[in-house]
Amino acid sequence: MAIQKQYYRRKKVCKFCVERIDSINYKDVKLLSQFVPERAKIMPRRISGVCSPHQRRLTDAIMKARNIALLPFATE
Amino acid sequence: MRNYEIMFIVNPNVADDEIDKINSQVEGIITSGGGTVVKVEKMGKRRLAYPVEKFRDGSYVLFTITATGDVVKETERRLRVMDAVIKYLTVRMDEEIRRQEKIKAHRQKRALRRSTNSANRQAPEQSIEEQ
Repeated sequence: MAIQKQYYRRKKVCKFCVERIDSINYKDVKLLSQFVPERAKIMPRRISGVCSPHQRRLTDAIMKARNIALLPFATE
Repeated sequence: MRNYEIMFIVNPNVADDEIDKINSQVEGIITSGGGTVVKVEKMGKRRLAYPVEKFRDGSYVLFTITATGDVVKETERRLRVMDAVIKYLTVRMDEEIRRQEKIKAHRQKRALRRSTNSANRQAPEQSIEEQ
């Protein structure tokens, strides 16, 4: 018998799919910084709920932004 | 020929007209190699996310160009040599542009189909009411 979950967990949805954001650009710091928490690491999919194709592009964009000092590699 | 974006950071102590000089220099390198400069954008001074060569700020410049790989190579080499430029990044954009056009076309097609479908559905309903 399956144990029923006692609390209701909200279903996570991919921000980029829902809001139809086509381009994840490395220059868009405002958008990217939503996915880099305090320690400046890239937020994992299990927390943000981003779908895998978009997560791939997001990671790519964040890495480019880091390279040109728009986003930090780590917080000091 | 491919589309690229070259972004570089200039030393914050360099004056605005000096940056213009650097820009025209870079433009010269690109055009002499057979490339074309689509757009030059000065993004102004902003804070760096981490110190680069002990600078905490920098002036960002963005070039949108159409050129071959050799031109990009040469431009990067020249940027590396320039003292005022503290960091640069080249990104290939043609695949990204193509992808976006594909998405746009797909979306238009879907919107068209949806509008015709709804028009068909509404038509018989109206005829019933008329009867």
